[in-house]
Amino acid sequence: MELAITGLGAVSPFGVGREAWCAALAEGEGARAKAFREGPSEVLEGEAFADARTAEVWGWDPKAHLGKRGHRSYDRLTKFLIAAAKHALADAGVKVEGEFAPPLGPEKVGICSATAYGSLDAITELNRVAELENPRYLNPTRFPNTVINAAAGYVSIWEDLRAPNTTVVDGNCGALDAVLTASTHLEHGRGEAFLVGGGEVVSEPLYLALKKLGVLADGRTDGQGVEMGEGAAYVVVEKPEAAAARGATVHARIRGYGTAFEPPESEALLVHCGADAVERAARMALSEAGVAPEELDAVVTATGGIGDIDGAEMAGLKRVFGEGLAYAPTKRLQGETFGAAGAFGLASVLAWMGGAPVAPVGAGAAPEKVGAALVSTVGFYGNVSCVVVTR
Amino acid sequence: MRRVFVTGVGVISSLGFGREAFWRSLVSGRSGAAPIELFDTSDLDRSIACEVKGFRPRDFLTAAEVRRTGRCSAMSIAAARMAVEDAGIGVEHLEGPGTSVILGTTMGEANVLGELEQAWLHQGEDSVATGLIPRYGTTLLPIHVARAFGARGMVQTMPAACAAGNYAIGYAADQVRAGRADVALTGAAEVIERLQFAGFCRLGAVSPDVCRPFDQQRQGLLVGEGAAILVLESEESVVRRGATPLAEVGGYGLACDAHHITRPHPDGEGSAHAMREAIRTSGLDPRQVDFVNAHGTGTAANDKVESKVLAQIFGDRQPMVTSVKSMLGHCMGAASAMEAVSCVLTLQDDVVPPTMNYEHPDPECEVNLVANAARKQRVDVVLNNSLAFGGYDAVVAFAKPDVLPNEARA
Repeated sequence: MELAITGLGAVSPFGVGREAWCAALAEGEGARAKAFREGPSEVLEGEAFADARTAEVWGWDPKAHLGKRGHRSYDRLTKFLIAAAKHALADAGVKVEGEFAPPLGPEKVGICSATAYGSLDAITELNRVAELENPRYLNPTRFPNTVINAAAGYVSIWEDLRAPNTTVVDGNCGALDAVLTASTHLEHGRGEAFLVGGGEVVSEPLYLALKKLGVLADGRTDGQGVEMGEGAAYVVVEKPEAAAARGATVHARIRGYGTAFEPPESEALLVHCGADAVERAARMALSEAGVAPEELDAVVTATGGIGDIDGAEMAGLKRVFGEGLAYAPTKRLQGETFGAAGAFGLASVLAWMGGAPVAPVGAGAAPEKVGAALVSTVGFYGNVSCVVVTR
Repeated sequence: MRRVFVTGVGVISSLGFGREAFWRSLVSGRSGAAPIELFDTSDLDRSIACEVKGFRPRDFLTAAEVRRTGRCSAMSIAAARMAVEDAGIGVEHLEGPGTSVILGTTMGEANVLGELEQAWLHQGEDSVATGLIPRYGTTLLPIHVARAFGARGMVQTMPAACAAGNYAIGYAADQVRAGRADVALTGAAEVIERLQFAGFCRLGAVSPDVCRPFDQQRQGLLVGEGAAILVLESEESVVRRGATPLAEVGGYGLACDAHHITRPHPDGEGSAHAMREAIRTSGLDPRQVDFVNAHGTGTAANDKVESKVLAQIFGDRQPMVTSVKSMLGHCMGAASAMEAVSCVLTLQDDVVPPTMNYEHPDPECEVNLVANAARKQRVDVVLNNSLAFGGYDAVVAFAKPDVLPNEARA
């Protein structure tokens, strides 16, 4: 695998666009305060959410990025994705002032987009009508939002992307699995540039589900638990020769991908992470990249606040990289973004390569600069995916 | 690039469980349509669907599997067990990182989510069964299937709405070709759920009685459900274990209309591109295609656009065309996987199943339809066509083993 990353677009608690993202990460751990503001949620309303502590895209104004018209029926996730895509395409020079810049055009640009829970809020909204009123009152223009791939479909419509549009759902591993999807499409000539990444939103049903399961950090004092975040991030990937031919700036290269699955031994269990799977995925990614463990400067870990899963991930990573490497649990800065986490992991590595400090460092020592890094993502059901990124 | 073969298929459908029952029903023109029993339809304007009736998970799943799965995953596991048995592939060939599971769906465990939300919205969060929550998640379909067979490679869900089966099969073939997997269990599953059914009704897409693809008096689709799994193997794996392939997976084509979230592009540009790519990457030209399994939903827009695309691609030499949705209903994410199984069985038996309920030719749908009765005719190459919400277009080619040119491997 050899993919050139030529652009980044991010919608996050730090703002919208590459500059906002990199500026926040340049503050190191200070970025966390921007993400986890004091004060009430802008998404979750009502008594059930009074204690909610979330890292939201604060002050989100879709009109500032999508204009005033044409998106009334779109849900929050769809709008995040479109804004992230728009910024990524501009950042990569795929589009200039909203128009495709030759040699790229609509048929040559596609999207591989991940989400874990998709438009759960839109489904709930429709269920409220169907269950509490009457299904005859369902708004048919909102119905497509219940379909998981619709959000990415709207991105293609909005940005006129006619190369393949692929949605990937693999829990928290989705965005990195979408990297392989894009690589496969590029290899087979199904397009020349792909948006790769994903999005996730804070929503009432997801928050309540995690609260019922007892995995949220809210109200806990032991430093454990999931802190819910949201946002969307895309990188633009191309074959290096194609990027060079059109004179694009290459910010980094994705050189290797690895994935593995390992279920729990107990038949009664469902939620699980195994150190063996983490080790196997990381070694597979390194092997494909032709990079030795000691050549890496940092690892973006998937550490999300669920003790057993985090412990297994670290055990697996340390079997490969040992104790000294900088392990960065970046979800500390912006919360758990589930299916989008791998995309934000890639965005973190880009910021580090641009000079931002590796932060926070959960174990090991921060390097002076980052030339190569591994991004790790861990699903809740035993799947693990990793990529190796180099300058 | 390595060659990829289908060595086994398994189906849970409204027309029966397993390859034989499914195929016998399709060839005889039997319909799976009946009044809906899964939920109350008295407040909806439509009440007919192609439900999977009499599916008892415990007939196919272990007690532990039943406890941790919803209906969609349970049907996936059941279909996968049938496919594995059909392939005659022992567990020793499936265990380990060489086996991947790549499945499509539109909404996955939609009825688990429906149950959770009904409890929450009607009775408050305290009434939500905590133990049910982890069973929701589109991610879970391939996880459960991988677990059932000891697969330790890639586990991936591709939610591509009504083209999800083709997306998954095509991508699984990509991974086997590239050497990232030796064996892939692939296909798709979908369940009928109240909100989704109501949504299709509100879109005005559901027929009040039967599904009449390509008929001038067509009134829409019938919603269906089920699961279909195919065992894909590399040529090396087939040779190593002395298996007999059912079919070869040819090339596939993908495109995005980037036009409208639910309606196809009026000129079918994306659909035509996907079909051309499926033919080209199979190393074929259009004259070598014997049969197209149409998306054929029975809606006004789909069948008209699809007919236009077939005319563009094949001109005066139209291959046979059929839509088994006239019998199976539109199984949404599972549709193109179930129809892929049908395509494979056509290649096996040289029989094209019929498009039922066809009475009134439509001048805007002039296709070479196999109408109302199955046709016995040699079929070497099949295209499985699909279109979907999101403007997704996906076409997968299947051929009799040893028909495709050696250089053609997508």
